[in-house]
Amino acid sequence: MEKRKSRLMGQILVYLFLGVLTIFTLYPILYVVLGSFKENQELVLGGTSMLPETFQISNYIEAWRLADFGRYTFNSVFLSTMVTAGVVAISSMAGYCFARREFPGKNLLYSLMIAFMFINIGSISLRPLFELAVKLKMNRSMWSVILICIGTNQVTNIFLVRGYMATVPRELDEAAAIDGCSFFQIYYKIILPVLKPVLATVALLSFRSAWNEFIMPQVFTMSNPKMRPLTVGVVALKTMGDGAAAWNIMFAGSAMSIVPIVIVYLFTSRYFMSGLTVGAVKG
Amino acid sequence: MTELKKNRKGRWDLPLFLMLLPMMALFLVVSVYPFLWVVKYVFYDYNGFAAYPVGLDNFKRIFTNDPIYWKSVIHTFEYAFLKLVLTMPVSLVTAVLLNQKLRGKSFFRILFFIPTVISSAIYSLIFFFIYSPYNGILNNLLLGGGLIKAPVDWLGNPAIAMISVVIVALWGAFGNYMILFLAGLQSIPQDVYESGDMDGASRVQSFFHITLPMLGPVLKVVLLLAITTALKDYQSVMVLTGGGPRDRTQVMFLYVYQLMFGNENATAAQLQIGYGATAGLVSAVIIGIATFIFLNLSKKLDEVY
Repeated sequence: MEKRKSRLMGQILVYLFLGVLTIFTLYPILYVVLGSFKENQELVLGGTSMLPETFQISNYIEAWRLADFGRYTFNSVFLSTMVTAGVVAISSMAGYCFARREFPGKNLLYSLMIAFMFINIGSISLRPLFELAVKLKMNRSMWSVILICIGTNQVTNIFLVRGYMATVPRELDEAAAIDGCSFFQIYYKIILPVLKPVLATVALLSFRSAWNEFIMPQVFTMSNPKMRPLTVGVVALKTMGDGAAAWNIMFAGSAMSIVPIVIVYLFTSRYFMSGLTVGAVKG
Repeated sequence: MTELKKNRKGRWDLPLFLMLLPMMALFLVVSVYPFLWVVKYVFYDYNGFAAYPVGLDNFKRIFTNDPIYWKSVIHTFEYAFLKLVLTMPVSLVTAVLLNQKLRGKSFFRILFFIPTVISSAIYSLIFFFIYSPYNGILNNLLLGGGLIKAPVDWLGNPAIAMISVVIVALWGAFGNYMILFLAGLQSIPQDVYESGDMDGASRVQSFFHITLPMLGPVLKVVLLLAITTALKDYQSVMVLTGGGPRDRTQVMFLYVYQLMFGNENATAAQLQIGYGATAGLVSAVIIGIATFIFLNLSKKLDEVY
């Protein structure tokens, strides 16, 4: 009887803890999504209500028409799609080559990749890359942002693919080779379809990181605001000095940045989490 | 078949080269080139237009004449320490709770991971709204509940700005580490707990005597990951406070960024890129040393156990 009572108490405490965390997690998201339907006046006055007095979609219309958020959304979608395609292509090819071939310099290349993963120098590398882009006259092009984003994402993803390749039996390659497939044909016709599960993870992880990229595109769009992705476009409003006047647009913009990626995540959470744990704990 | 055998001995051929080319080209440009660039420019005074070689002047300045940089180093460690102290227990406890039989556990797992798919720039902006002194909802709620008498300037008051920033970091990070801990917990065999149960161990006892020791290796990896990530964080601080008030939340890499790209107060003409490269290199070395010390300490801990 005593034991059952303390079990029940424990259970209540557990749900209390999880409940508090749930509110903590959901609150900012709901606050901004619901707030994006408020009139600007209501936002500026503040108040304590999460729900808008009346639901307005005028913020979205204003953001889309006047603040160029249509373009920013397109930029974000384009950037993320290209980065995803690039990372999937590059990491599957490189992972396949590393798993199936021996070649001079292989170990050196591999250790260099790991070494540079550790001396990731954060904000320092932005300046040389920016100046290189200026030299190549690419500093006003979206492609420099795309290529850098692929480059910073590729190494982890190559490791993911290479790890998965270890579970693909070599007999598959050999059978295809007997049938006359070349090295590239084996990759294209046999390996690529087999890699689908791990490539789904790779694709989602790189889509997320490109969609959320902020500082790097901010640097590259300083002189060309039309190229901004959503993240940069929204935060730029904060520093533009409009102050409270632009709260409604920033709310709408934030919601536009959050909602699509959260929906993608809710349908694919399994892949997100597996990618994380495979990469970090085993790698 | 013969072709495959030949390949295994190892040599480059055209298909292999072409398939690895994009990866190697990007690796050279994005990772190797910036590193070499930094190694060159630490010896220069460079404002974006003209560069003059200055020998070791940049190093002299950073080690003898730049209190703001060293303040930012201290703040970086303060931030990392507070973030770890808050995040690790929350993540671990949540992971342990969600690793047992519990109604709705997969719901909670999916929910708590949501912040990690949102850009830290965006969620920092949202917290900037929430923290806003006069029309922010946090102050309005606290005022309404009678918990505070006057609005609190969460991000503008030097005494509490850092903790406000760390709360945002907790929001963004705890779900991530929760999933890593869960992966570690799932590798602990269930029968260890069963035998603990039979010996009459309480839940709390089995946490300290079974879970923690058996989680040791995973704990080490996760801590290492958390420390290095926290020392490199600066995106969130950039959006929330820009390093203010009065440099109270200035962290190493934000300082480096501002030297290289300027901030709202500095125009492009005042950029100190060579010096920024030096500060960046010194910061990278500091992180390296911190990592090394952590690895040594955790090795010592292993011997104790």
